[in-house]
Amino acid sequence: MQKQPTQFPDRAALVAHVKALSPGVSDDAVSETRGGRAAAEALLAAIDPTAYGHSRNYLDGAVTRLSPYVRHAIVSLNELRNQALELGDGKAIEKFIQELGWRDFWQRIYAQNPDWLWHDIEPYKTGFAASDYADTLPQDITAGETDSAAMNHFIHELKTSGYLHNHARMYLAAYIVHWRRVKWQAGARFFLGHLLDGDPASNNFSFQWVASTFANKPYFFNLENLQKFAGMQAPCDFHTNKCFGGSYDDLALTLFPHMAAL
Amino acid sequence: MTQLIWLHEDCLRATHRLFTEAASADTARPVFIWDDPYMTAMHYGLKRRVFIYESLCELPVDIYVGDTIETLRDLHSQWGVDEIVTGKTPNPALKAMMQNLRAEVKLSAIADAPFVQMDSPPDLRRFFKYWNKAKKNAFLYDGRP
Repeated sequence: MQKQPTQFPDRAALVAHVKALSPGVSDDAVSETRGGRAAAEALLAAIDPTAYGHSRNYLDGAVTRLSPYVRHAIVSLNELRNQALELGDGKAIEKFIQELGWRDFWQRIYAQNPDWLWHDIEPYKTGFAASDYADTLPQDITAGETDSAAMNHFIHELKTSGYLHNHARMYLAAYIVHWRRVKWQAGARFFLGHLLDGDPASNNFSFQWVASTFANKPYFFNLENLQKFAGMQAPCDFHTNKCFGGSYDDLALTLFPHMAAL
Repeated sequence: MTQLIWLHEDCLRATHRLFTEAASADTARPVFIWDDPYMTAMHYGLKRRVFIYESLCELPVDIYVGDTIETLRDLHSQWGVDEIVTGKTPNPALKAMMQNLRAEVKLSAIADAPFVQMDSPPDLRRFFKYWNKAKKNAFLYDGRP
């Protein structure tokens, strides 16, 4: 058996080596995000858990971008929490610590119920049965050529950078499941294939939360919400995102016509 | 005693407890097995694989290519390994590999430092049931009083 090299003249040489070791891979995209502890420590030194608390839902909010490193334990939740404690106290960093809790929560469920990963934990609460949803993603979604400019923007970002802000993930997941009526599993596989931080538990259980198979109601949004949180980063005008227009009540009647009331 | 440290994708950190808890961490030989079919089954594209490989390049680890179980078995017999030490994970595919190896060799799976310590298991039916219990220690250093 031959040891593989760990030093390369440049990143292109490393990428070529990884491609040669990966006959199972068909795509060519490489993220600008670098792997390794050094890159993680630079991000760790720059976290602002207080600003995160009041800006995290905005696509340009003070998020850490540490998720790929947490995913592979390059940074532990414990040291991330301890670092946050150095920078703020109680209420100011509550949301930051709570989001770490979500990761811990999903991992605990994963350990206890690994068979839930690809199966509906509960029935859909959308008025539809699982059999009403398509098994595979339509080609316009995988190509980023849907009728929504915002969703196309998110799909392109996912495929090129391997990263999406959490709110963008929720928008895109809801679009796939509720607007296009595709099974959450198809969306989850698509995300796992591109996200650097794609974790079977966090990804799939979050998809189930959006779908309502692990929540009391489906997650969906309207154009006003999209414009508020993503308007500066993605094309969110009405004319290229008509399907999201209207009030929540109006959208619920369209998306979930068999439901009496949400 | 000869130990082999098996780093897998859920423990790519030199300060992970598996290094400190391996009795012979100074002489143990850390390895990572680059298993293409495993990564394909995990749906990993080129972006993720480059990220993982770059992360490995900064770790004290030797990378070998092959089927994870077969390669670890070969290293076990070639090096006269008494024990494989690895990181604990909820991943059922990795857990199945560990179980398979345990038929032939002593294997210890070491948990990473926990986010929060609780005196009894939390209710996992909804996040806020979990959080109401976890938050008592989640705001404390090392997640414990």
